[in-house]
Amino acid sequence: MGTSTPTPSGEQEIPEVGGTYRTVTSSPAETLNPLYNNEAGAGTLIGYALDLGYTFKPGNTLMPQLYDLTTDDGGKTWTGKVRENLEFGAGYGQVTAEDFVYQVQELHQAEWASTADSSAWPAEVTIEQTSEFEFEITLPSANLLYPQTYDPLLYAIPKDLIKPYVENEDDKGLQEDQELLNLEFTGNLGAYTLEEWNRSSGQTYTRNDDYYLQEATDQNALFENAPYFESLENSVVQEQASRLAALETGETDSAAVPPERVEEFDSMDGVNVYLIPQPYNEVCVYNMRENGWNAGPGNLFREKKFRQGLGCAVDKQTLVEGVFRGYANVEYTWQPRWSQWYPSEADMMEFGTGDLYGAEAAQSRIEEAIANTEYDYSYDSNGRLLNPSGEQCTITLYHSAGQNTERSMAEFIAQEFEDNAGIAVEVNAIQGAQFAREYWQQEIPENADELEWSNGAYNAGPRDVATSPNAWDMTVVFGLNTYPLNPLAGEVFFQKDSFYNPYGYYPSWDAKSLFEEANSATSQEELKEIFGEIFVNIAEDQPMGMLAFPSGRSGYSADIDGPAENFFNGWDFGAWHREE
Amino acid sequence: MGMEWYIVRRVAWAAIVTFIIVSITWGLMAAAPNPEVQAAATQAAMDGDDPTAAAERAEARLQLDRPLHERFMDYVVGVYTLNWGWSNTRNQPVTQAILESLYYTVQYSVPWTILTVLIGPLVGLYSAANQYSWKDHVATGFAFFGFAIPNFFFGIILLLLFGVTLRWIPIVYQTDVPVFSVQNAIQLAVPVFVLVTGSIGAIMRVSRNESVEYTNADFVKTARAKGVSTYRIYFRHVLRPTMVPLSTTIVGYLLALFTGSSLLVEVVFGIPGLGRTLYDAVVAQDTSLVLGSTLFFTFVATIGNLIQDLVYTLLDPRISFEDR
Repeated sequence: MGTSTPTPSGEQEIPEVGGTYRTVTSSPAETLNPLYNNEAGAGTLIGYALDLGYTFKPGNTLMPQLYDLTTDDGGKTWTGKVRENLEFGAGYGQVTAEDFVYQVQELHQAEWASTADSSAWPAEVTIEQTSEFEFEITLPSANLLYPQTYDPLLYAIPKDLIKPYVENEDDKGLQEDQELLNLEFTGNLGAYTLEEWNRSSGQTYTRNDDYYLQEATDQNALFENAPYFESLENSVVQEQASRLAALETGETDSAAVPPERVEEFDSMDGVNVYLIPQPYNEVCVYNMRENGWNAGPGNLFREKKFRQGLGCAVDKQTLVEGVFRGYANVEYTWQPRWSQWYPSEADMMEFGTGDLYGAEAAQSRIEEAIANTEYDYSYDSNGRLLNPSGEQCTITLYHSAGQNTERSMAEFIAQEFEDNAGIAVEVNAIQGAQFAREYWQQEIPENADELEWSNGAYNAGPRDVATSPNAWDMTVVFGLNTYPLNPLAGEVFFQKDSFYNPYGYYPSWDAKSLFEEANSATSQEELKEIFGEIFVNIAEDQPMGMLAFPSGRSGYSADIDGPAENFFNGWDFGAWHREE
Repeated sequence: MGMEWYIVRRVAWAAIVTFIIVSITWGLMAAAPNPEVQAAATQAAMDGDDPTAAAERAEARLQLDRPLHERFMDYVVGVYTLNWGWSNTRNQPVTQAILESLYYTVQYSVPWTILTVLIGPLVGLYSAANQYSWKDHVATGFAFFGFAIPNFFFGIILLLLFGVTLRWIPIVYQTDVPVFSVQNAIQLAVPVFVLVTGSIGAIMRVSRNESVEYTNADFVKTARAKGVSTYRIYFRHVLRPTMVPLSTTIVGYLLALFTGSSLLVEVVFGIPGLGRTLYDAVVAQDTSLVLGSTLFFTFVATIGNLIQDLVYTLLDPRISFEDR
């Protein structure tokens, strides 16, 4: 998994065009309006008819779609070169740099429009048209990984379409515009053209004969006559059993497969299951705020050695094989192993594996941590951790109700903590939204103005003063994004005063300076070195129990040629075809 | 006066009841935290974006940042000017969303209702005619089986049997086939079967018990003595009086003709009908669509009740609306 697939090159036989590509989704799309969609599923549906500015292909290289982004001053100024063969439909004419610049300046950077992309375009980022097919983005400070933040990623929307709404500052009208909702303006900008959107049951598309990427054979020889299906259909099938039945009978060409049925489906003649790496991890988060660690006085989670001890208590390989049935990779630091930013393994502390796993490894570190505090915790002869009152330390662990895999993971952690760290863990189920509201978010202190920082409900202040309404110890409810393409975006998870620190983590390493250095790095080599240092520090400091990277499991009809087991699966969707 | 005055008062009362129900629904929706706002914040949080800002953007987009009384007044004005608003989860006018869903619901609920109304009393009559015989037990067993087995479970089993194993029916519901076509009949056969088996149980038992009462009645004995054929006795002398008490149940079913939809069956078979539309709207707190659907159902129910009351006077002239 995660290995790169070489781009097809040289002489390649061009497939026949024909047939229908069928896919199923579990829930209906709310909107297909590209300016207001913020759901990944609907993004895919929009993407069939309307390409985004660029994408990434195996090898982590940028593939220009509508435009290319380059920098020659170390990432402060970025030049966007728009392709010259892009045409809108519905009489809107050729796509030019002006369409992108107008969209950013008048919608994303305007107060009234509240578009999905507005957070990507703060006022200090400027965009100017420099020629008919060229625009220039200037950042407040250099960022070599700017395209990887996805911030400069835009759809092409005709200036003339949005202009009346801009003049009237009519956000409601813009959200409800029929041409935007039904993607009527997409011209040659997508592999397919949306024919019908039945709100509850799905979409049908037809082949776009003039797809602009047909001229991009330098990226993939198979783009020459792309796409290769006459039509594409997406059906909403809410019941998982029905989606899987459709995959089995060949009524759909793709559907997600749950872990317990991967083997069964992969062994079918008509289906192949691909394990697709994804960036979200499974973490056991410790509450280092004042209302965390409710097993006794003090908050032991704040001790680095204690967290390391907990890291030694859970066997990650067994977790991956037992709970995730092998469809996941172990996680040691805030980056998957296949990422180009993953430090060399010699430097990494791999908690939960080898010498860094087991009762001895866990308890010795926990004892060191206790010695560092003023409280009288100790181990008894049965290896149970006792609090100063002489009772075994008991803490709670929350997981999302109704999520079987998550529940198994929580129970496994509880068992390992009990066996190896001598800490009893009570496993509790809770609805994700309720946990977010009552445990994860903090109440804003009344004297917020006088605090060193107070950054909203997810980091309402220093950990001694700002806490959530209810006490909690540990949770596995939320997986977080590790940003394998652009780890800079993950900075917020490790700064004590960022707007996201519900767990009250204070790094024992100099996170601020290292991320600042990474932000101002001028070459990839320099970046790699700094990220290496950052991820080694994170592995050592154990801000949370970093456990696993589960893979996405997608089943495809065996005769579909195109899907690949890597993070970039789908980058060349236009070239996918049915084998004859 | 008399019946006219009664109808006027009932219609006026229906308008007030509708307003109260819809206002309560509106209040409940407004009081609950909006999951879309929560989801926007959570997604932003997982991605390291500012969750508070994301929640504020979602609130602005859903117009939840306006004062409560303004939102309520807008809604009330909309209801009475037939402007039922815009569905945020489907991005289309509420009226269009309801009509589109109704189109698919009607396709299975009409055959479902007709078959239930036809088969239920007949099976009951058959059971009564063969009381305590093996035929009665089989018919009763069939009725209880359909009544007892959960529709969604039965649906999945039949889908796996006929769709996956035998491949007689499609798994994915096709919305693009004509309404009156063989393909549509094939894809609707199993959902209709599941629904009919689930709903005839009650009717069958009521009609069996009523019929049993009449099979030994004096007028039936007289008919038999006169040499009237068995079929004529059952259809003319037993079924007819049986249908009088049964008709209240059946009127209920006829009412359900256009509104009766089954969420779970729609989910299992992927039918984009009213049940799913309303359920999805409730879960996602699509206020306009929930209220539009509530209005629709309340309207049909209150008007339906009124018609049912009026039908009594036609069925039984002894019932009078004078002085009510």
